[in-house]
Amino acid sequence: MGNAHHVIIYTTPACVYCKKTKEFFGRHSISYEERDVATDQRARAEMVQKSEQLGVPVIDVDGAIIIGFDQKNLETALGLKV
Amino acid sequence: MYDLVIIGGGPGGVAAGVYAARKKMKTLLVTDSFGGQSLVSNDIQNWIGTKSITGLDLAKSLEEHLRAQPGIEIVEGELVTSVSKRDGGFAVATNAGRQIETRYLLVVSGSRRRKLGVPGEREFDGKGVVYCTTCDAPLFGGKTVVVAGGGNSALEGVLDLVTYASKIYLMVRSEVLRGDPLTQEKVRSHAQGPDAKVVILWNSLIQEVRGDKFVTGVVYRNAKTDETKELPLEGVFVEIGLIPNAEFVKDLVKINDYGHIIVDGKTQQTSCPGIWAAGDVTDVLYEQNNISVGDAIKATLNIYDHFKKS
Repeated sequence: MGNAHHVIIYTTPACVYCKKTKEFFGRHSISYEERDVATDQRARAEMVQKSEQLGVPVIDVDGAIIIGFDQKNLETALGLKV
Repeated sequence: MYDLVIIGGGPGGVAAGVYAARKKMKTLLVTDSFGGQSLVSNDIQNWIGTKSITGLDLAKSLEEHLRAQPGIEIVEGELVTSVSKRDGGFAVATNAGRQIETRYLLVVSGSRRRKLGVPGEREFDGKGVVYCTTCDAPLFGGKTVVVAGGGNSALEGVLDLVTYASKIYLMVRSEVLRGDPLTQEKVRSHAQGPDAKVVILWNSLIQEVRGDKFVTGVVYRNAKTDETKELPLEGVFVEIGLIPNAEFVKDLVKINDYGHIIVDGKTQQTSCPGIWAAGDVTDVLYEQNNISVGDAIKATLNIYDHFKKS
């Protein structure tokens, strides 16, 4: 079962808030694409361009940019809260 | 009304929760999140009984242990904003507008990162100013950065960055490095020779963070020579220590000059009857997960002694 949303998460390998965000997706059965900005230069440039900052995680939900593991904003963007 | 409200979900808070539940006190634990400050650590090697564990796994095992206790109540995702005296106890308020009444209170709220407090810091937060080195070090590949601080977290920050950054200035306020000798040695090994990747700037303090869209440099002052210089760079990693999370009880309990709650080392009682504290929020000599656990248990057993008598 996929989800109606297009979700991209920009991460680094040692970032605990990235892991927490991915666990959050897991709990809510949200499928996502992960881009490791530690190794992928193009993804890094893309992340900086989208978020206008340097820090992970950055989450792109259908073009809405969320910086950090911000559970409330993620719930809103993913329509998880009624 | 609860018998006990525990504020904090780090190792100390969880230890207190486990003991309080086993003593069958009506207990509520309030925390923003579980795991405490070690959450961001990638490898904890001194958590006794475990050779190596990540901060995230430690947080999970703590939470799981707490939730396995029958009777314990937990509020997660809220911060305590104020505590006031009530007849026979205290009223605790959270940032979500929750009001909790309790007879006894245990403060194990730990501490948070200290900020530089200089112009430009807030403006460039996330735009080159970094507070989670392990998270964001890889984003500074090939760049020049500064790490502010001289303790363990600053030294470990330098070691995290060595793999990525092209040049790392370690800006130390005094003339000595604090932190474990082993970590100091590793950092110093990168600071040898004319082409050293790491340059240690002693007696130096950042005065200003400069930039346009992102950080372009810092202005710093050498306290000994009284010289002020600008250093062109792209990353500012702030690792200058901690501030205790004690604001919400500052009018009720005695606090020392550093903002730590003063406790009696035998019982963990504060100056206010009915309030105990343990861990990094207190004037404890050593800020350690294992010590917070022991001190929080001491506090809980002492609370139980009072609970029994009443």
